[in-house]
Amino acid sequence: MKPEIDPHSGQETTGHEWNGIKELNHPIPRVFSLWLWASILCAAILWVLYPSFPGYHQVLGGVLGYSSRGAVNDAVIKGQEQRAEAYAKFAQEDYETLLNDPALKATYQDEIGVLFRDNCAACHGRNGQGQLEFPNLRDDHWLWSADPEEIQYTLQVGINADHEDTRMAEMPPFGRDEWLEQADIDHVIEYVLQISNQPHNAEMAHLGETIFEENCAGCHGDAGHGGYENGAPSLTDTAWIYGSSRADIADTLHNGRRGVMPAWSGRLSESEIRQITMYLMWWAD
Amino acid sequence: MFNSAWNFSATQMQAEGNMRDAALGCQVAILLLLFAFGVLIFGMADQGIFSLHGFLIALVAGFGALKLIDKLTDPDPIIPLEYKDDVIKFGVLACFLWGLIGFTIGDVLAWQLAIPSWNGDLSWSNFGRIRPIHTTAVIFGFGGNALIATSFYVVQRTSRARLASETLPWLVVGGYNLFVLLAVTGYPFGITQSKEYAEPEWYADLILLITWVAYLYLYLKTLARRAEPHIYVANWYYLGFIVVIAMLHVVNNLAIPISFSNPKSYPLFAGVQDAMTQWWYGHNAVGFLLTAGFLGMMYYFLPKASGRPIYSYRMSIMGFWGITFLYLWAGSHHLHYTALPDWVQYLGMTMSIILLVPSWGSVFNGLLTLNGAWDKVRTDPAIRFMMVAILFYGLATFEGSFLAIRPVNTLSHYTDWTVGHVHAGALGWVAFITFGAMYKMVPWIWKREGIYSLRLEAWHFWFALGGTLIYVGAMWNSGITQSLMWQPYEPSGAFTYAFIDTVDAMIPYYWMRAIGGLLYLIGALIGAYNIYMTVRGADLPAPDPRARPLPAE
Repeated sequence: MKPEIDPHSGQETTGHEWNGIKELNHPIPRVFSLWLWASILCAAILWVLYPSFPGYHQVLGGVLGYSSRGAVNDAVIKGQEQRAEAYAKFAQEDYETLLNDPALKATYQDEIGVLFRDNCAACHGRNGQGQLEFPNLRDDHWLWSADPEEIQYTLQVGINADHEDTRMAEMPPFGRDEWLEQADIDHVIEYVLQISNQPHNAEMAHLGETIFEENCAGCHGDAGHGGYENGAPSLTDTAWIYGSSRADIADTLHNGRRGVMPAWSGRLSESEIRQITMYLMWWAD
Repeated sequence: MFNSAWNFSATQMQAEGNMRDAALGCQVAILLLLFAFGVLIFGMADQGIFSLHGFLIALVAGFGALKLIDKLTDPDPIIPLEYKDDVIKFGVLACFLWGLIGFTIGDVLAWQLAIPSWNGDLSWSNFGRIRPIHTTAVIFGFGGNALIATSFYVVQRTSRARLASETLPWLVVGGYNLFVLLAVTGYPFGITQSKEYAEPEWYADLILLITWVAYLYLYLKTLARRAEPHIYVANWYYLGFIVVIAMLHVVNNLAIPISFSNPKSYPLFAGVQDAMTQWWYGHNAVGFLLTAGFLGMMYYFLPKASGRPIYSYRMSIMGFWGITFLYLWAGSHHLHYTALPDWVQYLGMTMSIILLVPSWGSVFNGLLTLNGAWDKVRTDPAIRFMMVAILFYGLATFEGSFLAIRPVNTLSHYTDWTVGHVHAGALGWVAFITFGAMYKMVPWIWKREGIYSLRLEAWHFWFALGGTLIYVGAMWNSGITQSLMWQPYEPSGAFTYAFIDTVDAMIPYYWMRAIGGLLYLIGALIGAYNIYMTVRGADLPAPDPRARPLPAE
């Protein structure tokens, strides 16, 4: 078939036809050719400036001497230096001085809040309110004392964590491991409900008191007030990590509990750990 | 003159008959091997779903083998003097079925992101398990079937030749859909090799490989039988798509299965080499499946539907070779600012910049083809679908090259902008050009007067366009917001925002996305209904001359 003229555009066709489809023989618009060469030129300039083609022994490194790894390292070091300077007080002063500096809270609370939300909020909630299985950090009930040095130590070594000095605390599985008869467990449950001021069966609770003294008081204290030295929670208040219902307590007694707080040493700097400690103390203010 | 498929001499017929028997024998042998493979898995599998997959493989392969053996004993097959369209019909229906599944699951995922508890807290319904069902159903189920079906249609019409085999096309669509089925039913049970868009495990990959080689062979064989002196540009693109997907699929899926009894395998590459292989694959799956293949569709259905010649043959050439050459370099821009060596990143970035020129070459070639037929954009929703598809193609390719520039990439890397970019391409380009082509092709192959309802077609268009714009707009906003919230530091060197703050900021956009996706899904349901009613409609009264091949002059 011969090329023909398309009546609409006045352009010649290529003379081919497929099932009625023809092609016009328009040249490539000049702007496209220019654009193509400009893109190639732009690419070539970048090849000269930055690492590009691999050679036999080594890669063309680029005249700017740029490297992503170098740029990242520089930025990381710069950030560390900036933070070390801005937060110098947290690393140097003791907690008493820090707590007595009213300007500190106003200046740093928002920024440290970001650190808290990035590292702690997944378990403790973005406002530190806690959730089932993870303690509330704002209710002034502490497992290992309200002393900032102790809080800092918990942050550093964790609880049941993989740090060699980690704090250890475990509620044994009295039911599962058959340390106690089921009847005794039922009595202890009623006693725990009693000392936490919840509805209970007084008769069973009375039987449970002796069993509690023999088996539980070692960690939770004689009246179930808890003890800071072993992280055993008070059973007489309203703060419950694993729930306060009869069923929850039964579950705890049967299966035991072994909550984990990770060790943050190594992951956060000492200064950052002290910042977060201060952040918790400011909540308690 | 040129050899026509319909002008055989007696000796040619004899030779062709012998060839046919040999080819059929080969196909039977392959199917029997696959049958044995399926039975082996069925018997040895150490988990229920894998066993079921073995059963499915054996079932499909066994069914195919029986059918073929039946054919082998058929002494004198009559091959009608017309195009082979029955297999295309199957492809069209599979395309719509997978499309509806993929769109639905996509929108379920969008709602899960807006309301996370909607995953029901079950292992199989969480985002990570379901998301690959969405991507596989849409890319391979919807897009792949659309490409196979239209490529069979186009190669026959533009070559004036019937498909080169009576049985192989069925093997291709059957094997291909078996692959998609195995893939999507495995994901909820955790069967995945965790490579994006290449999740299926070795046994499914093997079936796709066989299918794909058969597809390539069939396509080349049909082109070789053509009664036209030249190969039309649409076929270059379809062929480019088939060849490159074959190469990508093989290399990215090189893996060692741990056992016949277990779906798990380990890839041959490790670390950054594995990542680079994966994104070489991933980017070129976009480049050759979602781009080149669908450009093939555009190059046939746009001029055919609008009645206008292609604007420029030379632009077609520049577009085709530019895209083919440059895409294969550009995969590394998916790994900017990672452990990938800088030189690979910069090389990918620069090739991506040049890549925009041939991409927009195709855009302009498509749009300018409509010169002289612009009124049809107003009157014919199918052409409107295609025109808007080309605009979205232009938008998505500009975005792609732009985001490949490293500093710009900091705005999109790991953010929702990437999701928005992909959906501008997938919803706006891939699916729009498919819908446009289907609204034309379905009445043609089913020999109907026209589509069941132009009004419904128009409604589909507006739902789809509205949904796409809302979706993409929401993701641009959320992506850029994420990036701008992730990056800033306070003068003290502390982060300005915590990560959870950026998640909170996404909530309104995630709702918008889910609503946009819902509109798109409603449009697709209207479209599927329209196609269904067209298929159910009455035949054209007289034989349609367009549906018959013409003998060579």
